[in-house]
This record gives sequence, C-alpha cells and structure tokens, in this order.
Amino acid sequence: MSAVVTTGGAVRVVGDGTTARSRGARRWRRARGPLAVLLVVVVLTALVVLLPAPRSLEPYSLDSAEPDGLHAVASILEDQGVRIRSEDSLGAAVRAAKAGSTLVVAPGDLWDADAVAAVAAVPADLVLLEPSSELLDAATDGRVSTTYGWGGSALRDAGCDDPDATAAGRVPFSGAGLNSASPDVTLCFSASGEGASYAVDATDGRTVRVAADALFMTNGELGENGSAALALRMLGHTEDVVWYVPEPFLTYGGGVNDDPGPGILPPAFWPAMLLGLLVVLVLALWRGRRLGRVVTEDLPVVVRPTETTLGRARLYRRAGARGHAAAGLRARSATRLAARLGLPRSAGAAPVVDAVSRASGRPGTEIEDLLYGPPPADDAALLALARRLDLLESEVHPL
Amino acid sequence: MVVTWRAAVLAAAGAVPLALWPVPGTVLVWAVVTALVCAVDVAMAASPRRVAVERRVPPSVRLTEASTSTLVLENLGRRTVRGVVRDAWVPSAGAHANRHRLDLPPGEARRVVTRLEPVRRGDRHADRVTVRTLGPLRVAGRQASLDVPGRLRVLPEFASRKHLPSRLARLRELDGRAAVQVRGEGTEFDSLREYVVGDDVRSIDWRATARRNDVVVRTWRPERDRRVLVVIDTGRTAAVRAGDGQRIDASIEAALLLGALAGRAGDRVGLLAFDRGARARVAGASGSRLLPALAEATAGVDARLVETDWPGLAAAVTERLSQRALVVLLTAIDPAAAEAGLLRVVRGLAARHTVVVAAVQDPEAAALEAARATSSDVYDAAAAARAELERDATAALLRREGAEVVDALPDDLAPRLADEYLALKAAGRL
Repeated sequence: MSAVVTTGGAVRVVGDGTTARSRGARRWRRARGPLAVLLVVVVLTALVVLLPAPRSLEPYSLDSAEPDGLHAVASILEDQGVRIRSEDSLGAAVRAAKAGSTLVVAPGDLWDADAVAAVAAVPADLVLLEPSSELLDAATDGRVSTTYGWGGSALRDAGCDDPDATAAGRVPFSGAGLNSASPDVTLCFSASGEGASYAVDATDGRTVRVAADALFMTNGELGENGSAALALRMLGHTEDVVWYVPEPFLTYGGGVNDDPGPGILPPAFWPAMLLGLLVVLVLALWRGRRLGRVVTEDLPVVVRPTETTLGRARLYRRAGARGHAAAGLRARSATRLAARLGLPRSAGAAPVVDAVSRASGRPGTEIEDLLYGPPPADDAALLALARRLDLLESEVHPL
Repeated sequence: MVVTWRAAVLAAAGAVPLALWPVPGTVLVWAVVTALVCAVDVAMAASPRRVAVERRVPPSVRLTEASTSTLVLENLGRRTVRGVVRDAWVPSAGAHANRHRLDLPPGEARRVVTRLEPVRRGDRHADRVTVRTLGPLRVAGRQASLDVPGRLRVLPEFASRKHLPSRLARLRELDGRAAVQVRGEGTEFDSLREYVVGDDVRSIDWRATARRNDVVVRTWRPERDRRVLVVIDTGRTAAVRAGDGQRIDASIEAALLLGALAGRAGDRVGLLAFDRGARARVAGASGSRLLPALAEATAGVDARLVETDWPGLAAAVTERLSQRALVVLLTAIDPAAAEAGLLRVVRGLAARHTVVVAAVQDPEAAALEAARATSSDVYDAAAAARAELERDATAALLRREGAEVVDALPDDLAPRLADEYLALKAAGRL
C-alpha cells in the first residue's frame, strides 16, 4: 500500500499492500484447514466403501461366522461347485428362482399372503427351513402340516427311505414336528408322539424339502453326527441355489416393487435438478460475497434508570411490606402538600393536617387518617389509599 | 473474485442445451462453460488495487446536522474501471447510501459523495473503501478493500442554544445596557451619570449631587471577569438513560449553554470532565474561541462504568482555581454517590467557592410514581416515592453544606442552570 498525504490533509491510498503472491498465500492459509477436513472426510468415505463389508450377525445368515450362522455350510457348498446367490429382496429372490435351481427360504417371519403365494409358485425346487404354517401349507398344497411338539433337542434316526436322510443317519432335532397324510410325502426323523422333523414332497414336478428345525445346519451344530451330510445333500441337489432370508414385516408388494421401473418422472428430471443445484450454487456465490466487511459499532453502555427502584418494589411486594409502601406514598404526598401550602420542611404532623384540612375543606380526622393512619390491611386497601392520596393532592391548591 | 447476478442467469441458461440433450453430462459441460466465462471476465477486469483513493471529510459537524464524505478515485491502470465502490463508515455515522457506481476510464479521476447523518456524539471513524471492478461482460470481477483513514468529529447537538437569546437578554438587563429605564442591577460600581426620570431614587449618589448642580446617580454593572469552572461527572451515574440519551448528554447541553452565557457575560470559563481522572479540560479559551473549544472537548466524552473518584476530583478542581470561583458540578443526586464523597467534596469546595450541584432527574421515575393501575403498580410507585424522598433528603444535605442545587428533567436542566447562574450573578455571589 502506498499512502501519501496530499495538500488537503487527506490521505491518498493506492492498493491494499498485498501482491498476488501474498494474497495467494493468505488464501491458502485460510483454506487449508477446511481442505484438510474435506480430505479426511473423502479418505474415510473411500475406506468405508473399499473395505470388505462386515460379516452379518443375523441368525441363518450365509456370511455369519457366529454359532448360529450358516457360513460353514455355504462355503462347503461353494467349494463343491454350487453357486449360491443371496437375495435380501423377495422380488429378486422369486425372479432368480428359475426351474432347475433351488430356492432356500431361511427361517424368518414370512406369512403375508401375497408373499407366501409368490414363494409357493416358483418353478424351482424349494427348501423351507422352519417355515410358517401358511408357507408350508401353500408350498405343499396342504399335504404337509405342522404339529405341536415340545421335546428338547434329541438325536433322531432317519427312519425313512429318503436317500439324504438315510445317508445322514442320526441328526439332532427338536421342537415342532411335521405331519402328513399324503402317500407322496416322505417323513423322516420322526419321534414317538411328535411329528417328523424332515419331510420331502416330490409331487408337481419339483421337490419341496422341509426341515422343521434348522439348527442342525448352523456353524455350531454342523459337525455333530449326520448334520453335515443332511445339510449338504438337501441343499446341494441343484447347481444354483438362491438363498432368501425373510425380513420382518416385509410384504410381497413392498418386496417386489423395489425396482421402480420406468416411473412417471421425465428423463430430464435428474439432470434438471443438477442444473438447479448449479444455479443455486452461483446464486449463493453472488449473494454470499459482501461488498466489504461488516462494520461494527462500539455501543455505549446505557444503564436503565429505574432498575434499583424496581428491585426495591419487588422486595416490597414479595415481603408484603404494605406498611413501608404506604409510608413512602404518604410521606411523599405530605411533603408535596406541605410545600404547596407553604409550610416549612420541618413542620410536624399537626400543622400539616390542619393546613390541608383547611385547603381541601375536608374534616381533619379524615386527613389525619389518610396521611398518618394505620398501614393498609391488604393490597386492595393499599391501592385505594394511593388513589385517595392522589385525589387529595388534586383538591389542594396553594392558598 | 466476485460473480454477479448475470452469472446466475448464465448458469440458468443451461436449461436450453439441457432441453436438447437431457443427460447429466450436459449440466457438467455447462458448469465448465459458466466457470470459464467467469474466469475470462475476472481476467479482463481492471485491478481494484490500481485505483488511487482519497477520502475528504470535514473536520467536525454538529450532531443532527448532515455532512459528507467525499471519495476521489483515480484510475492508475490501463483498463477502464467499471463497478461499484462502497464508502464504509460505522453505523452511527449514518452513511446510508454509501454505494456508488463507478465508470472510470484510464487516467481519469472521479469524485463520489456519501451523505453522512451522524446519530452519535464523538469521533465517528471511517472503515475501509471497497472497490469492486467487473469484467467487460459484467459476469464476474475482482474486489479489494482499502484502508483509507477518515474521521468525522461529531460535536454535541447544543439543542439548548434555543434558550440562549432569552438568557442573553436577561444578561443585558443586568448589564444596564438594555433600552429600558431601569437601573442596571449589579453590584459592581460602574460610573456616575445624570439622573433621568425613571431612575431608581435609591441609586442617587448624594455626595456627588452636592458637589454639582444636577442630581447624579450611580450606575452599577454586574461583576465581570469572574471564574466559572464547569465540572462534568463522567462516572457510572452519567451512563444512566435519561430521555432519549444518557445523563451525560443532558449535562453536556447544560455545560454548553452555561459556557456560552458566562462567556458573553465576560466571565472566564473552564471545563473539566472527570471520573477516575480528567477526561477532558478546557482552560484559557475566551471570546469566539470558547464555544468551539467547549464543543470540541465534550465531543469525545463518554460515560464510563466506574465510580467517580471524588477526592481526586476535588484535588483537580482546587488545582485549577487560585481565586474564588463558581464551581458547577454536573452529576446526579444519588444517595449512594453522595455518601461516597460528593458531600465531603461540596463541603470542601463551598468553603472557598460558590458551588452549584446540577443534577438530571429521571423522567421514568415520575411515570413510575404516578402508576396506579394494579396493586403491583402501587408497590412500584411506593418504591419510586421512597427514592424521590431520599433524593430530596440528599439535596437538602447538599444545600446545608452550602451548595445551590438544581435538580431538573433532562430537557430543563440547561435553562434552569442558566437561570441559576443569572440569579447568582444578579445577587453578586460570584
């Protein structure tokens, strides 16, 4: 900056003392903090995106390595050449379950009528793990039903001629069992008094395998007895397996419509939104840059004049000090009346009452009661006293 | 680097290519086009740092009067400067229309004038001058803020000067110079002259009459060349709101009126503003230089939230006065302040000088005392009545210490103090 004092006493200024280099350095110093924060955010986002997703902890999830997960059976099946496709959405699972593949419905809440019908109608083989009775009913046309069971986990013999079951031999099962009156249905792992734990229904050109209890194929149980044999064989009949884990409260409609399709928005909608963003950005740049800084004023300190008076009034009110308040009002009125009537400041009560009585034409006892009477009993009396004092002052004029 | 509304319009014009090719890529290309146009416009804009700026401000202005700040801008660069210049001032300087369009060919100079309507007393400082230059398309441009010093001293309003003519007329009556047939009041012997009908017979000088054939009367004139020291208390009590301003504003008005009056009456007027130390002082100014000196000195005086150092104030007053004088203390009658030392100071000063304590009453207290709407109002009124009684008692104490007390509402203080001065002068008590 060059500043030269001119003849008029004013100062002539050229430039603000900065160069392009110093301005650049200053902008860099100012911007590097936010830039560093932005960089950290970008790096963190990239890490989150690029790092492998964490393993699921849901029971019967294919990538859960917990004791109740199914990672072990899934990885063995994949090693054996079975392609497992895990689907979270019912619509996608139903579309993927073509003829010649297997749709596995993992344990979960699936009882919406549309959803059940969609699952039951797929051309693929079905493996139902712990199905709801609605699903079981729809998938097997009522040939298999559930019975109530209350037994604990126990090793059960296959006891049937299904090759998968006989290959497995003894498998631990528990809980509710399966029942069937149809001769086309093979019931295995029956226990006395309870239903079977495993059923195979091979009517309608596709096979429906039902396991009433899926605990045997979890990571924790897979190594026990014939669990691995049964699990791998019942799941591995086809090369393509679609694995669907039902979500709670998900209806079939909600599951299928997650693909919006062509929709009603015109194709230019999202580009137009982008252009709107650009315009808003430029508008913000236009309005955001001030023409010079905001100038501040060093304001004077102004003290409220009646602060202490109001504080004292609040004290009177809170303490109910009607006597003090009335005395203040009376003394002020008496002082004013005495000054107006020409009495000296040192005048006592009697001359004041006398003079005011004569000037106002009211009896002396009333004046004395008003100016020197007892303190008022309540707030209403105090208010009345104040108004009577005002009235008296308005009636008294200089003699 | 700045952009204008035209840049936003340019960005919005991207709707046309978007209608032809409705894909996101069109928007990205248009964003690049917009940025390029802005960059080219910035590159072609004149440098705001090649504009020489000079600010000319009148040295002082009275409050409520308007003034101007003039910027002289000269283009030292090779490109035409198109754009806007802002002459920024603190808000209380009242520079409302402070933005000016600028069209400045190379080598030429222009003058832009900003009207200032200050709303506060004291030194009002200018802020930076911001120059924004736009490129030839006026889509974008450059901006720089330059530190150009400027200061406008805002003098007190001196609204009480409307009371000056009537008080000066009274002063001339005292002086015996008025065209009325009454004896000039006063206490200082002036001269002898022949009796004319209408003169007060009590002023006949019998001894002189015996020496001559005519009846001769004495004429008096008021005392002259007395010292008047106006002391403004700028401590915490001066910061209290009174009417539209603070107590100190009413005190300054009163000081200016008294100074103008006493200066015309031939007295020597001094001024001292004091809280923990002297904030302003005027000494030795007389004649036509007195009032500007008083205004200049009081312009920058502000109330401060400190307790006034009364012994220090007494010492400062005593130091300034070697002979008997009229000391006017412009303060507040506050029982607490009186106990803190005002009473003792008045006692000390009244022994040697004539002391007037001039205080500003609180207009809000009167309204509070008259409120009767609810019972809670009555408690407020009672508290206000108590406060007034205490003020009266304090005023009585001050009178007992030998001081004259002028206790008036802010607008009445200046004329009441002037009247008090005239009364003291007529009584010969200066």
